[in-house]
Amino acid sequence: MLACLLLACECPGQTGTATQTLSAQIYAAAKLSVPATVTLTVGATKFSTFTGTLSVSYRARTTSTGGGSITVQVSSDFTPAGGPSAASGALTYTCSGANLGTGCSGTQTASTTLQTPVLTLPASACTGGGGSCSSQDPNSVTLNLSVPDNSTYSTGSYSANLKFVISAT
Amino acid sequence: MKRPLPLITLAVVMLVLAGTAHAQFNTTGTTTLSLNVAAEASLRIDTATTTLANVGTIFAPYTGTTNYTYRIRTSKGTGSGTITLKVTGDFNPAGGPSVGTPPTTGDALTYTCSVTSPGTACTGSQTASTGSDTGVSTFGSDAKSTSAGNTGSVGWNLTNDPQYSTGSYTATVTFTISAT
Repeated sequence: MLACLLLACECPGQTGTATQTLSAQIYAAAKLSVPATVTLTVGATKFSTFTGTLSVSYRARTTSTGGGSITVQVSSDFTPAGGPSAASGALTYTCSGANLGTGCSGTQTASTTLQTPVLTLPASACTGGGGSCSSQDPNSVTLNLSVPDNSTYSTGSYSANLKFVISAT
Repeated sequence: MKRPLPLITLAVVMLVLAGTAHAQFNTTGTTTLSLNVAAEASLRIDTATTTLANVGTIFAPYTGTTNYTYRIRTSKGTGSGTITLKVTGDFNPAGGPSVGTPPTTGDALTYTCSVTSPGTACTGSQTASTGSDTGVSTFGSDAKSTSAGNTGSVGWNLTNDPQYSTGSYTATVTFTISAT
C-alpha cells in the first residue's frame, strides 16, 4: 500500500481508462429438493388406502428451444417383505399444484425399473423474479401418494425409497 | 456483564441458520416413504335378511343360513381375531319366539358355523344370546384374508314351539369382527 502511494506521487496528474468486455453464457439448469421422509397414513375405513403428500421444490431455467422434466423412480422397494410392493404396482400417485410447468396427468404407477413423469417444463421457463419467469422461488409440485391397505399384507412397518431427477435443456 | 458477540461470530451463526432453513437443492433427490400396516378387520353380511322356515315334519325347527364375507389381518406373534354375534333385537312382536325370555324352557335360537381359512369355525351348536356375544369364528396370529375377502356362514335353528302365536316375527343379530 505504501508502494502504491509512492508511485502515485511520482506520476501526478496522469489518468487512464480501460474497457473490459464481460460476457456470460447462461445455460439451462435445474435443481430440486424433496423431504427426507414421508409417512403414509391410513384412513378410518378398514382396508382403505394409505395416503400421503410429498412436495417437490425445484428451480429451473430452460432455453427458448428447450424444456425439462421431473421424474421419479422407486429406487428401493418396500422392505421388509410381506407388505406392499411397488414392483407389483402398489404405489400410485397423482400430481397437483405445479406453479411452473405442467404436473403429470391422471394416476401414475410408480415403477422400480422406469422413471415415471412428475412434471414437464416448457421452453423459456424460469424460476423466480416474476415477469416472464414465475413469481415463486422455489417452484413446487405436490405428489399425492397412495398405497392400498391390502389384507394380505403382514402387520409391521415398511419403507421404500423414491428417487427424483430433474433435467433442463 | 455480557459482552456483545463479535461480528465474525454473528456471521457464522447467520450462515448456520441459513443452512438449516433452506432445503438442499440438487439435480436428484431421494425420499424415504414409510407406512405402518396394523391389525384390522371388517365384515359384510351377504344375506341381508335371513328367512327361517320349517319344512317337512310338523313342529320341525325353523332353519336358515346367513352368509358373510370377512377381511382380516392379525398381528404376527401374539395377534388374534374373532367373529362373534349377538341378538341385539329380540323377536317381535310379542307372543312368538324369544331369545331373551323364551315361552318354554329349552326353546332356543342355536347356530352352527362354517368359515373358510384362515378362520376356524365355532364347534358344535352354539346358543345365541341377547346378553352376550357368542363365538362364530376365531383367528390366530398373522392371519390374512384375501384382499377380496373370505367367506363364512351361520346355520340357524329356532325351536318351533306350539306356544308361539301364529304370525311373522323378526329379530336382529349383530355380527362383530375384531383383530389384534
